[in-house]
Amino acid sequence: MDKVTAKWGLITRLSLADLCYDKKVSFCIIAAVISVITPLLLLFSLKYGVVAQLRHQLLNDPQNLEVKIVGNLQFDQQMLDWIKNQPETAFVIPLTRSLNTQADMLKDSGHFVNNAEVIPTSKGDPITKDMSLINQKNQVLLSSLAAEKMQIKTGSRIKMVITRQLDGKLEKGITELEVIGIIPEVYYSRAAGFISLDLLIEMEHFYDGYQSETFPTGTGLTNSTYPDSFARARIYAKSLDDVAPLALKLREKNIETRTQAMAIENMQAIDRVLSFIFGVIAITAIFGCILSFSGSFLSNIERKRKDIAFMRLIGFKSKEVMVYLLTQAMALSCLAFLVSCLLFLLGNCAFNLVLGKNLVSQPIVSQLQFYHFIIAFILTLFISFVVVAIGGRGAVKIQPAESLREA
Amino acid sequence: MLTINNLVISRPIGKSFFRVCLPELLVKAGQVVVIKGDSGCGKSTLLEMIGLILKPDEVTRYDLMVDNQTYDIANVINQNNINQLANIRAQYLGFMLQTGGLLPFLNIKNNILLSAKLLQKNIDSQRFDYLVNKLNIAHLLNKYPKQLSIGERQRASFIRSIIHKPALLLADEPTSALDPYNANLLFDLIIEQAQQDNIAAMIVTHDWQRIESKGLFTLSAKLTSTQSSEFLPL
Repeated sequence: MDKVTAKWGLITRLSLADLCYDKKVSFCIIAAVISVITPLLLLFSLKYGVVAQLRHQLLNDPQNLEVKIVGNLQFDQQMLDWIKNQPETAFVIPLTRSLNTQADMLKDSGHFVNNAEVIPTSKGDPITKDMSLINQKNQVLLSSLAAEKMQIKTGSRIKMVITRQLDGKLEKGITELEVIGIIPEVYYSRAAGFISLDLLIEMEHFYDGYQSETFPTGTGLTNSTYPDSFARARIYAKSLDDVAPLALKLREKNIETRTQAMAIENMQAIDRVLSFIFGVIAITAIFGCILSFSGSFLSNIERKRKDIAFMRLIGFKSKEVMVYLLTQAMALSCLAFLVSCLLFLLGNCAFNLVLGKNLVSQPIVSQLQFYHFIIAFILTLFISFVVVAIGGRGAVKIQPAESLREA
Repeated sequence: MLTINNLVISRPIGKSFFRVCLPELLVKAGQVVVIKGDSGCGKSTLLEMIGLILKPDEVTRYDLMVDNQTYDIANVINQNNINQLANIRAQYLGFMLQTGGLLPFLNIKNNILLSAKLLQKNIDSQRFDYLVNKLNIAHLLNKYPKQLSIGERQRASFIRSIIHKPALLLADEPTSALDPYNANLLFDLIIEQAQQDNIAAMIVTHDWQRIESKGLFTLSAKLTSTQSSEFLPL
């Protein structure tokens, strides 16, 4: 071992020997640090747990992000592309006339839904974003209410029945669909089936009196030209802040819209209040943390002034004394952080077990990611390093004789 | 060999200052110098300045010759090079404090060996055994300073201050807490070790009568006014 390593080894051993010898004082410092870090970890775990999830749900609720079209218009592909290309637009998909977006769905004669909403969906749809993607005409995503009424599970098959009047006679078009997913009630609360746009177009085609391969009846017009425009569209903005500008742009194109302006304002107000409350608590807590660290570590340095003076008397350099003090601070901080993490895990379990049961949609009340712990650990070391570096610098500036005489 | 000229400090006492001055000093290697004077005359202050743990207001010359190499310590003091001063303290100085001066969290053995460990010097184990046996602290080596009397600490502190064979030993009232037997023993050991290892030693003491007969060079504090004292050869 070279001389430099041996010297730093000696200083480290001295630091740790001092901590072990002064167990009570070390315990008090560790306890003081734990008392600050643990509540902070729990506070931030709530922020990144239930509060973040609630905030995310509030701000990303599709109902609030939707810009509804009032009445039936003529949306050609050019207009749909224009809407899609707006920076505020998250998702847009055409809709057929409102009367043509209803169908009966049935599992069997005892389990069915009359006049269920039939809604087209595709990739990027905020309502079905966490569900399986519909790739074929014969697939459907059911809302939980529709699934409940039919007592359907994913993988089941249902029949979709639509009725038209042709030449004075009522005709039923029936097609079989595979249920590839069930949309949770929080995303869509009414009885509905989400299908491909192609199937919806096929429905309208059937309602309009044409023959359809999907809804075979053997009657109807054989001319199979499909319309190149749509009556309406489902439009969603990227964020709550984008809803009003997007609605304004549509109105400028003479498209009447309706938004959840009041609900959006409420959501944004709640978000601002939550952010402010956590901001104030976090700043106060971090400030308290710095004060607590200062109190603990500076009083420790003050108590060690005689030892520091003695070490300098026998020839320890200032930077070596600083390393001695910093090693102690780092060791105490590491230990305190470790214990804080263990206590946090207990609190975390308590939150999730006790409070999680009361929040059906929020089973995770308290959570921190691994990188949160890394950041907290680095901050803990950084604060104690800075506090001890400042306090230690003051202590080593004092002439050894002064400190030795005071003792 | 230690040569000091015009070492001066003024220390605040309430609203006024007390000036301590050492006009001239020459101590040869192996020589023991006794510093005596009334309480409050600045003996400890003088020792602290020579021991480089208190910065003097003035120093014209402070040369320490070790192994035919002369160190201009006055220059280091005037430049306030605290790292260089720490180096000099570690390598060439041994300081024995009145109250012992031991780290509370190390046992006596590790306290004694600390200076040598800092310098990464190998210890002459025979010398170590000789000193601890001579001062009768062999049975205390695994104890902590808190478990020892002040007298026992003083004896341990003495060994700690000379274990690395410094060029200059500074002892501030080394026998203040010792019984007469151990006080004599320590004085004799200081003189013996100084001569044996060529250590220039300076001892502040009130125990003047005990060493009067030993014929040591003595610096005595002379009060030049109520606010000033000078250390001159007796």
